[in-house]
Amino acid sequence: MDTLQSVVRHALSRRSFLAGASGVAAATLVAGCSNDGTMSMTTSPPTSSITDTDILNFALNLEYLEAEFFLRASTGSGLSAADAGTGAGAVTGGTQISGLTAAQSAYLNEIAQTEMTHVRFLRQQLGSAAVARPAIDFTAGFNGAASAAGLGSSYNPFANGFNGWLIGAFTFEDVGVSAYTGAAPLISSATILNAAASIQAVEAYHAGAVRTNIVALAAPAGADQTTLNTANAISKVRATLGGGMETTLVTGLTAAGVVSGTSGSTIVAASTSSSIGFARTPSQVLHIVYETASAGVSQGGFFPSGLNGTIKTTA
Amino acid sequence: MATQETQQIDAILSSRRAMLAMGGTALAGLALSTVGSKAEAQSTSTFTDTDILNFALNLEYLEANFYTLAAAGATIDQSAGGSLGIGAGTSTTGGGAITVKSGGPTACKVPFTMPLIQAYALEVALEERNHVTTLRSALGSSAVAQPVLDLVNSFVTLGNAVGVSNFDPFANDLAFLLGSYIFEDVGVSAYHGAAPLITNKTSVLAPAVGIHAVEAYHAGLVRATIFNLDQTATALGPAGTLRTLSQKISAARATLDGTASKTPDDIGVGTVQVALQGTTANFPASTLADADTNYLGWARTPTQVLAIVYAGGSGKGGFFPNGLNGNIK
Repeated sequence: MDTLQSVVRHALSRRSFLAGASGVAAATLVAGCSNDGTMSMTTSPPTSSITDTDILNFALNLEYLEAEFFLRASTGSGLSAADAGTGAGAVTGGTQISGLTAAQSAYLNEIAQTEMTHVRFLRQQLGSAAVARPAIDFTAGFNGAASAAGLGSSYNPFANGFNGWLIGAFTFEDVGVSAYTGAAPLISSATILNAAASIQAVEAYHAGAVRTNIVALAAPAGADQTTLNTANAISKVRATLGGGMETTLVTGLTAAGVVSGTSGSTIVAASTSSSIGFARTPSQVLHIVYETASAGVSQGGFFPSGLNGTIKTTA
Repeated sequence: MATQETQQIDAILSSRRAMLAMGGTALAGLALSTVGSKAEAQSTSTFTDTDILNFALNLEYLEANFYTLAAAGATIDQSAGGSLGIGAGTSTTGGGAITVKSGGPTACKVPFTMPLIQAYALEVALEERNHVTTLRSALGSSAVAQPVLDLVNSFVTLGNAVGVSNFDPFANDLAFLLGSYIFEDVGVSAYHGAAPLITNKTSVLAPAVGIHAVEAYHAGLVRATIFNLDQTATALGPAGTLRTLSQKISAARATLDGTASKTPDDIGVGTVQVALQGTTANFPASTLADADTNYLGWARTPTQVLAIVYAGGSGKGGFFPNGLNGNIK
């Protein structure tokens, strides 16, 4: 197992790393990045150990974010009061996306239903320990992402038809996959691990579908590259804030390198150069959704009042 | 969090290695009631992380060869300058033979006319080969050799099961897409099913869930491409033809793994009605993810995976004419 240990050494002592205790882990994360391997990772003093409840509530916050985005894009309305929990935070921004074909609507509806169901599933698993929906701000979140990505001062993914939806979906899905991939080895209960793997798979199916569609839009000769370029600009921001771990979307992959084994290009699977899905620590995920490179931050970006629960501060 | 029910399920999962050793095809039917049999199950042998990784390696040999043949007309030991090992331990030689089309490996290179599908083939070929390399490196001297593989008769058998005669996944873009469809969802559910069986969480589980994600990315790619292409007529028939075939393949997999008569653990590419608001299911939604009605991905036990890749054969058959190498077979 020695070599595999070297491949995934960032997983070692992940619990202590979560608490900001492992500079070694942070350094080796870089080695796992295939593209855009830049990172901005800082550490802070150890806080506390992480329980399965903490991890599920962390995931629930992310599912609230996704559910609100996808539901609003599909229907114009978000989660019901019952699904958002007592004392739920307000949601800013997010309107129904218009001008879709039937097939495109089916995409939106599937993922909206998925994320809403994941919210319900996690709330059910957590029972009385479930946190309520935190305040969510799509307007500030996407504007901040656009600014950081050099796309101008504002971006509204709800106002650009299916392509806008692809950008919004792209913004969240890969992060969700890497969050679940990173969280899985931290989970104590085999039952909870099984559930997390179930959700992880579905997030990756959807992330794969979203990335496939973005590449398909840009692939034909002379096709508009705007959506692809926008997605890659956001990917770079995520890499900067979230510890690298991004795979650039490219078109025109050729046979060169496949036989020789020298090709390092990938398109659809966001993964390391060893083709292992990226695993982000909760802190790295927080850096992305708060849109901050700083340590000790507990709110910002898509979450103006921060996440609810114990995992809420960047390391 | 640790309710009585979750504790019971934990007990089942922790004893699942032992149950696997029982070899029962009724494994899929085991439920909470099996808690009582835990003591009995523990009296049989169990599988190690090495066994599980070697099980995964067998599947990766299969996938990597399929995609590399389709994308490049070469088996994996012919690619990568011959540096990619297929033998036992660290040997680069000695792996099992592969039944390919009568013209040899080069005849398996798909005459792609759709650049996107060709690009997908290239990407997945590379990534599945990387999985072989990663697993072999991890296993070191414990790595099993490439088993004997059959990429011709296996597909014909599965094709017959879904009403396609002489199915050749190397024939063209769409056939390749369907061939990919046969594999990817199975890979996802196999890694998912194996994850809770793994003992070493840091050096084995972590990469396993990472590979799990990549398999699901691939599966999402394949399913989205089927959904998109199939909105209009294709060379295979009018709009809907590809989706119908995917649904038949999913149904065949559920039949092989023993869930078809209960709750089938497989859903093809298509459209279902969902209740985004209230309780009335009146929003048409695609099925890009192979998941249950709670949008949770399915887990297959190794026994169920074997039933599929052996195409119903006992202990061998389908893609593995001599069975898998290793202890899980």
